[in-house]
Amino acid sequence: MIKITNLEKYYQTEEVQTIALNKLSFEVKEGEFAAIMGPSGCGKSTLLNILGLLDDPDGGSYLFNGIEVAGYNERKRAQLRKHNIGFVFQSFNLIDELSVFENVELPLIYTGVKPAERKERVHQVLEKMGIMHRRKHFPQQLSGGQQQRVAVARAVVNNPKLILADEPTGNLDSSNGNEVMDLLTELNEAGTTIIMVTHSEHDAKFSHRIIRMLDGQKVTENVLV
Amino acid sequence: MIRNYIKIAFRNLNRNKLYSTINIGGFALGLSACILIMFYVTHEKSYDTFHEDSKRIFNVFAKTNISGDVIRMNSLSSVAAKMIEDKDPNVSSAIKIKTEYNPVIIKNPENQSQFSETDLVYTDSNFFNFFSFKLINGNPETALERPYSIILSENLAKKYFGETNPIGRNLSLRIDSTYTFTVTGISEETPSNSSIKTDLIVSASSLNTMKEAFYDMRSQIFQGGSFQTFVKLKDPEKVAPVQRSMNALAVQGHEESTDEYFLTNITDIHLLSRESTNVKYVKIFSLVALLILLLALINYISLSTARAGTRAKEIGVRKMNGASQRSVAVQFFLESAVYVFISFLLAILFTILLKPWFFSLVGIQIDSSFFFDPGFISTMVGILVLTIFIAGLYPAIILSSYQPIETLKGNFGNRKNGAQLRQVFTIFQFVVAVGLIISGIVIHQQINHLRTLDTGLSRTDVLMVPLQNTMDNSQSVFREEVENLPGVRKIAAASLPMYGGTNMYFVDDKNSDGQIPLPILATDHEFIDALDIEWSIPLQDENIATKKNSVIINEATINKLHLNPNPIGEIIVFGNSQYEVVGVVKDFYYDSPNNEIGALAMFVSPSKEFSMDFGEKSSCLFIKFRANANVSSIIKDIEGLYKKYDTENAFEYQFMDEAFDALFRSEMRLAKVLNVFIGLIVLISGMGLFGYATFSAQERKKEIGVRKVLGAKVTQITYLLSVDFLKLVMVAILIASPIAWYVMQQWLQGFENRTVLEWWIFAFAGTGSILIALATISYQSVKAAVANPVKSLRTE
Repeated sequence: MIKITNLEKYYQTEEVQTIALNKLSFEVKEGEFAAIMGPSGCGKSTLLNILGLLDDPDGGSYLFNGIEVAGYNERKRAQLRKHNIGFVFQSFNLIDELSVFENVELPLIYTGVKPAERKERVHQVLEKMGIMHRRKHFPQQLSGGQQQRVAVARAVVNNPKLILADEPTGNLDSSNGNEVMDLLTELNEAGTTIIMVTHSEHDAKFSHRIIRMLDGQKVTENVLV
Repeated sequence: MIRNYIKIAFRNLNRNKLYSTINIGGFALGLSACILIMFYVTHEKSYDTFHEDSKRIFNVFAKTNISGDVIRMNSLSSVAAKMIEDKDPNVSSAIKIKTEYNPVIIKNPENQSQFSETDLVYTDSNFFNFFSFKLINGNPETALERPYSIILSENLAKKYFGETNPIGRNLSLRIDSTYTFTVTGISEETPSNSSIKTDLIVSASSLNTMKEAFYDMRSQIFQGGSFQTFVKLKDPEKVAPVQRSMNALAVQGHEESTDEYFLTNITDIHLLSRESTNVKYVKIFSLVALLILLLALINYISLSTARAGTRAKEIGVRKMNGASQRSVAVQFFLESAVYVFISFLLAILFTILLKPWFFSLVGIQIDSSFFFDPGFISTMVGILVLTIFIAGLYPAIILSSYQPIETLKGNFGNRKNGAQLRQVFTIFQFVVAVGLIISGIVIHQQINHLRTLDTGLSRTDVLMVPLQNTMDNSQSVFREEVENLPGVRKIAAASLPMYGGTNMYFVDDKNSDGQIPLPILATDHEFIDALDIEWSIPLQDENIATKKNSVIINEATINKLHLNPNPIGEIIVFGNSQYEVVGVVKDFYYDSPNNEIGALAMFVSPSKEFSMDFGEKSSCLFIKFRANANVSSIIKDIEGLYKKYDTENAFEYQFMDEAFDALFRSEMRLAKVLNVFIGLIVLISGMGLFGYATFSAQERKKEIGVRKVLGAKVTQITYLLSVDFLKLVMVAILIASPIAWYVMQQWLQGFENRTVLEWWIFAFAGTGSILIALATISYQSVKAAVANPVKSLRTE
């Protein structure tokens, strides 16, 4: 589903050029659950942003479902993103001014789903995540675990083929963290491809394969069964 | 989707109360000022447009050359209207209007109630056909047909006759003699944007038999006269041929006529009227309105983009969830539209509340119904659309253009160019504020300069009481009794009050065959002494001045009439009479000090009463009080005496220094209105700066935290945060000062007597704005400086 080859990304400040991704290559198959690990600053998040089409690479190739997307402009990336990719972040990234329902509804609005269907689908996913009773609350009124469930609900409401999770349990205690990991596992078992960046060996064990990075390069790849 | 945007707009509004108040409140205030000014400006520009045929109605003006001075007149002889209507087939109809400027005493003979009114007009019977004024009662075709018909406005009809029907009833009007008029109609109140006032309309045919109108009706040729003359053209493009016809008519009546006649569309008369400062006001106010709107817009844009940082995450999340750049732009545009719309509603509320106060300040009256005038409404809609567009467009483009990943990381608000733009905005706002503060001070100084000017006569403690001819026989008794009141030091009389204009007389020019207009004033023999007017060449003998055919002139007359430097004994020819110059007084201002002192001839009457051969009908008493007199009680006493001798006219009086000050009424009004706008602009700029300081403090939270951890004191942090803003204000002062200096120097050129632009004005305005800026930003700076650094570092 995803194939990157010699992917490069630089950050340029006035005097220093930092290499975030250094000719990185790997492949993730459809239905796979991959974890990316590595120390801070090794390029994990940069990689995830590029995979999520939130950022563009400076070199190399990125095939998404066999289509080269490395040169896509912002409009094309937005188009591809909204139909195919869901995001889960460490800091949840919910919009504070919108209620739980409205936050989850957001991707459906941008894909042009009709209001009645939106309501049904949001309710279904909230039900599934066990936060239906909180649908009218605002993010600040929820616990961290609940907020991350909302974020996951939002990520999956559009039935994306790929979910990108950036330290999804980083801000959670272990029991809430485990619940989120169980959710992701369930989604993966239902067929969604998941790529997760994490610091946690514990969380990484939920995946099928661990890719370890250092200084923008892949160091090892462990397949778990 | 749009519902979602509007919802989030309102939630944002509610969540950030300070921001919303500053942004929407400031914008509404600015808009409200702008609406008020536009209300005034569109009203000024809408004069006489309510006439259905306004495009085809023209006022006839004449340019006449008197001894080299070209004088523009807007009144013609009584036959002119009819003549042009008959002569030129391009003219579909014509009408004449004569305004009675003297007060008219109106009496209802049924109950003897009596009223003094001004602005009565005499006009032809086609008045209601020609113009679009409406009759509520009466036949518009015939109401003005018969002589001695009168039409009253609704209010006056109520005033004279109460709720009863006035049609067919009689009123007696005392103009000079008394006449009986029959009420033939009730008219609607004149719209406030009409240059023709129609409270009292009298049939022009009455003038044929009124002795006061003898001179007005005498001329039977096409020439200047007493009637404002309007023509209605079949085709408004045919102005030139009609003008030619009029010039031909003028020569027909008087072969040597060099008068030139031209047409001015009725809708242009108001703004073109010579004495009116309307055009100047309209220009200045339009500029101020534009500046206020611009500043309010700048505030809005500056605050919206400054707040971008706090919206960064939301934008990132939206983009991550599939929002395109366009949809984010649409969202911010809509959000701005919602805020601007709320501001607009609020501004309309402010406008309604502030309207009476503002109009009394500007000294105008505007019908409330003008709020629904299509011209005004379209101006408002225009402003609304334009502000939504400008206020929405910039933030929408800027905010939507960021990369989602950047916005998710939150580096968004502190983009260099955004900060620079806000700095430019702040400088601009303060340039306007400082510039206006300087202008305000200069205008104030100039008015003060004029008010305290040595005008060559003493005008303090002098009361002027105009006497009407109704007091004819009792004037000297009245005068004597006033003179004997305790507290009255001196008393004098002249044909006219000071500073209200003079009469002109044409005298022969020694150097040519032509005639020169010379202002004249008839006085009693106390006048020069009582007002402390100084002599340049005094009278050789006290009694000489009162000798028949003697005249006293001022120094300016020597030059104007080309007399000898010592003109004593020289003869000035007034019509058929010769007058000998017996004394010269030093120049004094008898008119506005905005103009050079003009020539003046004074005829001194031998007795305390004077009757000149110059058609002076009324007179004015000049009563000089003692320095310690109880002014209000003396005025009461004078009023008592006045009422004893004049039962018909109301007692009127004016202090001479107030009459003098009134010459600068338009400047004083300008100063007052400008003060309000300066206050508003300072407030708006202050709000902008406050908002900017708030977000700047937020942006620098981490820096402040780090500095504090490393040992910075609160004062150091406060200084750090304030100094950047003060630099901007200083730059603004440097830019504003020379501009204000130049503009005010130009403005002062319009005055004969002008104040000097002193350095302290600029220093004062500069210091003032620095203090205002300091007061505005210190709250945020101190607040940021005393905050717990641990907290700010943790949130980072």
